[in-house]
Amino acid sequence: MKVTAIQKWYKVHKWTSLICTIFLLMLCLTGLPLIFHEEIEHYFDDIQDAAVLPAGALMPTKDSVVRVAKAANPNKVIQFVAWDEEEHPGQMLIGFNDSALAPPENTKNVVMDLRTAKLLQAEEPSLDFMKIMLYLHVNMFLDIPGTLFLGLMGLLAMIAVVSGVVLYVPIMKRLDFGVIRTEKSERLRWLDLHNVLSIVTLAWLSVVTITGVINTLAQPALMLWRQGQLMEMVEQYKDKPKIEAELSSLDAAISEAQKAAPGMDVSFIAYPGTAFSSNHHYAVFMKGLTPLTSRIIKPALIDAETGSFTDMKDLPWFVQAILISQPFHFGDYGGIPLKIIWAILDIAAIAVLISGLYLWFIRRKAKSDHIARLTQKESLTILALEENDA
Amino acid sequence: MHKNSFKKVWGVPIILACITIVGLVLAIEGSQTMRIFAWVLLSIPTYLTIKYGNIGFRHKTKK
Repeated sequence: MKVTAIQKWYKVHKWTSLICTIFLLMLCLTGLPLIFHEEIEHYFDDIQDAAVLPAGALMPTKDSVVRVAKAANPNKVIQFVAWDEEEHPGQMLIGFNDSALAPPENTKNVVMDLRTAKLLQAEEPSLDFMKIMLYLHVNMFLDIPGTLFLGLMGLLAMIAVVSGVVLYVPIMKRLDFGVIRTEKSERLRWLDLHNVLSIVTLAWLSVVTITGVINTLAQPALMLWRQGQLMEMVEQYKDKPKIEAELSSLDAAISEAQKAAPGMDVSFIAYPGTAFSSNHHYAVFMKGLTPLTSRIIKPALIDAETGSFTDMKDLPWFVQAILISQPFHFGDYGGIPLKIIWAILDIAAIAVLISGLYLWFIRRKAKSDHIARLTQKESLTILALEENDA
Repeated sequence: MHKNSFKKVWGVPIILACITIVGLVLAIEGSQTMRIFAWVLLSIPTYLTIKYGNIGFRHKTKK
């Protein structure tokens, strides 16, 4: 590679990195506890275990469970209900909010016992440590603009990765893989460390960056789906006012959805008027049973007035792409060992960022020292010349 | 670039990238066997980051 080309790539690497480094550092630091958010939240929550009932005991209907929760929160509306027999056996999570379209920050999570219809926990919306980490990571408390800005920083990071790979070539031509020159100078030690850590983690860094950028488009994608495919599916309801009467049975909606999607399980149910459904329907999101297909959810729309089945369609490809990319960003799909690997590689990424910043700093300092030496020499020469003249 | 120098610069990085990608994809299949394969594969680049990080951060440059 020609020297001028190297200089150009160096400039690209320097400027893209300088702009995004501070945000990437924030993302790596807040991401670290988020990898273990399930474990951390489970450790700190005080939800009692659901009651154990004798075999064959009659379970209350989901409608009656929801009714008990609703009675305890008369001024709030339900946005979604969900349950997961494997992770949280016997529990139902109900998301209450001030209105159907109120933001998730204001969600009041209520956990009910599915077997006794008793309230297990009610968590008022509050900003605990994990939520601060989450919102810093997702949007820096700046809603959709914040998310899209972080997506832009991710794009810059991808350019920094590509230019870094290009610059790796001329440096490594004379070095063996993994050599860290610890004896020569501080700058070479940090340069070699920066290079070896980034090249070892290259594939992981790229995957996490790209899937992170894809994830920043989740909310626009959801809006597109809502205004496009969802509107088409509920075409015949477009002139009907928002449903105000008592909603049809939740249990009946579930069995309608299961009839429409045999071999699938309920992931969660969005209530009418929320961001995940139409104004007139329960959206029963069905998921596959294997770890891979459980990521690809599919909504069955059930008329929340009559309880009849309206339509079911696969989500559009761009929503599916986001859903499939998510586990590769979160690292939550391969048990605790995968999470530990994720954490170590995240720390390596922090080391890459800090060493890069340090290299830029000492290079600048070396440059200014060099200039200072040159000017000093020059002024000495001028002094000498003046003395000669005198 | 000369063929040998390509191999010298890119040999190990390409192998490591393949190991990482295969590991990441295997884990999502979901069976316990595949998970264990994934952990073993992904622990290779993870081990290397610890090893090189240790060398780089421990050894102070002798002045």
